[in-house]
Amino acid sequence: MLRVSDLHARVEEHEILRGVDLQVEAGEVHAVMGPNGSGKSTLAQVLAGREDYEVTAGSLEFDGDDLQEMAPEERAHAGLFLAFQYPVEIPGVGNSYFLKAALNATRKARGEQALDAMDFLRLLRERANLVDVDEALLRRPVNEGFSGGEKKRNEILQMAVLEPRLAVLDETDSGLDIDALKTVAAGVNALRREDRAFVVITHYQRLLNYIVPDHVHVLLDGRIVRSGGSGLALELEERGYAGITEASAGGSGG
Amino acid sequence: MSSAAGPAAGRYLDLYSRRTGEAGFLRALRQQAIGRFEAAGFPTSRDEEWRQTNLGPLLRAEPEPAARHTLRAGEAAPFLYPDCHRMIFVNGRYAAEASSPPERVTAVALADLPAGGENADAIAEHLGATACGLASCSADARVHAFAALNTALFGDGAAIVIPEGVVVTRPIQVLWLSVPTLGRGDAGDGAASRLEVSFPRLLVVAGENSQATVLETHAADPAAGGYFVCPAAEFVCRAGAVLRHTRLQVDAADAFHLGFQHARIERAAVFDSSSLSFGGGLVRNDTVALLDGEGADCSLDGLYVVGGSRFVDNHMRVEHRQPRTTSHQLYKGVLDDRARSVFNGRIYVHQAAQKTDAKQTNRNLLLSRSALANSNPQLEIFADDVRCTHGSTIGRLDEDALFYLRVRGIPREEAHGMLVYAFARELVEKASFGPLREDLEGRLRSSLNGGRGGGRSR
Repeated sequence: MLRVSDLHARVEEHEILRGVDLQVEAGEVHAVMGPNGSGKSTLAQVLAGREDYEVTAGSLEFDGDDLQEMAPEERAHAGLFLAFQYPVEIPGVGNSYFLKAALNATRKARGEQALDAMDFLRLLRERANLVDVDEALLRRPVNEGFSGGEKKRNEILQMAVLEPRLAVLDETDSGLDIDALKTVAAGVNALRREDRAFVVITHYQRLLNYIVPDHVHVLLDGRIVRSGGSGLALELEERGYAGITEASAGGSGG
Repeated sequence: MSSAAGPAAGRYLDLYSRRTGEAGFLRALRQQAIGRFEAAGFPTSRDEEWRQTNLGPLLRAEPEPAARHTLRAGEAAPFLYPDCHRMIFVNGRYAAEASSPPERVTAVALADLPAGGENADAIAEHLGATACGLASCSADARVHAFAALNTALFGDGAAIVIPEGVVVTRPIQVLWLSVPTLGRGDAGDGAASRLEVSFPRLLVVAGENSQATVLETHAADPAAGGYFVCPAAEFVCRAGAVLRHTRLQVDAADAFHLGFQHARIERAAVFDSSSLSFGGGLVRNDTVALLDGEGADCSLDGLYVVGGSRFVDNHMRVEHRQPRTTSHQLYKGVLDDRARSVFNGRIYVHQAAQKTDAKQTNRNLLLSRSALANSNPQLEIFADDVRCTHGSTIGRLDEDALFYLRVRGIPREEAHGMLVYAFARELVEKASFGPLREDLEGRLRSSLNGGRGGGRSR
């Protein structure tokens, strides 16, 4: 589904990704872990199509299509979703109106009929219920004045409404207390399906107690230095990123 | 005729000398006004209040009175709202057959004003009496050239007098339609191009404890050529009156629009006015509001949406003359391409006006690197127990918000429109009369779509 090969990217003069390889298939959950500054958020933004980041080498393919040829909205229409680490506040645009515009733009791009107000409202209520989002949030402007937890839940709600094929969650756990974390994780688990994949980007292992990944990758200095099963997250928790670096350095030397 | 006031002023003095005589108070009023105009002349770039407004192209043109035009079927329809009383003027002349003025109020074309008719005294008392073009404001005795010209040269004009205690439930729409008959003049041979001129004049007197809504529309077919419209409006809100006013300006893209409006608000009266500017090539609105009785309140809000190489200038002056008066101004501008705007807002608090509460905000959104917004809020306060705030911002579209919307699947152009609409919406949604609000929402959306060339790559 997603094939990232030897991806190099920079912002201004700083090279941040220095050869990332990542392959994600339908139904899988991948965790990308790494310390601050390792390039995790850059990877997420490059996948979503942020123009501030320049891809200098390598390739990004989604279902065989070259993502670099696609505008951010076209990536969304193809089924790619990014849950933002810092969801943007948009005063003056109602949350529900925004979601309807987003869903119908995607449906239109796929040649499907737009949902009318009644059908959309029904869908929105059902999904809000599924991911445990208070309906009061739907009537407010997008993210404006939302608490950190409300913003993250709103991201999960958007994912539930848009039903992407691949969802990239960028540090969705950061800033959440344990109850909010469980709610968000439960929302993600409710959306797990055989034809849908997730890339969960996180600094800490604790989210992975609730969203159990099939594969764990460790990103350091713009490269994936180790990949393994869900046990790798626990190893990281015990030994820290420094321990992993030594281990991988030893591994590559042998 | 040449004039000490300059060749441009001389051309307008010629227009006045070509008028046929009329009797009564209007004649004296016009003579007084043209005298003041002749003495003052047009403002120049050395005049502080006109420094940023380039009148050159307007003043080089040869003015001639806008031609008489008989309304064709459907010609006014795009600008009319249902369920309104109506007064329709075409090129400054009253189209009585197309109008349906309210019955319980005096709503007449000034030219038809019968001597000794109902409320004739009130009209004679107020017309021209409040405008700075004639009677001087206490703090600014300068003659407003365009207001004086309007008084000297207005055509039929509309007077609306709402008697004491009367509540007019349906809005009164006053449509000023311009239908130019000349094409664009050719200035290439050095001769001045010809420009059709009209001078709409409105007087609204809201009697004590009366209530009414007046919707002014300055309009033309969007494809009409150039013309010059020079409107003046006076509003008198007697004690306890509530007057709501919306001024929609949708002139043709090549039009010159230099408007003047003046409001005097007496004790515990409310004047709530919105000015929305979508059209015109060179647009200037000068607004003066005098809070002239204890507890008087005014809201002066505005929106300008400007593209191409068009120019919009709003000059505001609010005078707090009595205690416990409140004023609230919110002006927002959206500028694209090479458009320019000026907002010049002055709040003047007289010594007697203790407990004044005044707020002024101007926010501008620039959609292109070549657009330019000027914002000059000014406070002059001579009382010591007041609350006055002002603020202005000039910013660009939030790129993070744009990216966020696009990542959710909303195409760039649509996302762009959503954000600009979100910026401006409070000013169109303020309209409480449904058909007006829907019209304004539609005009805002289409002006945003029209302003987008579609070729914007990022």
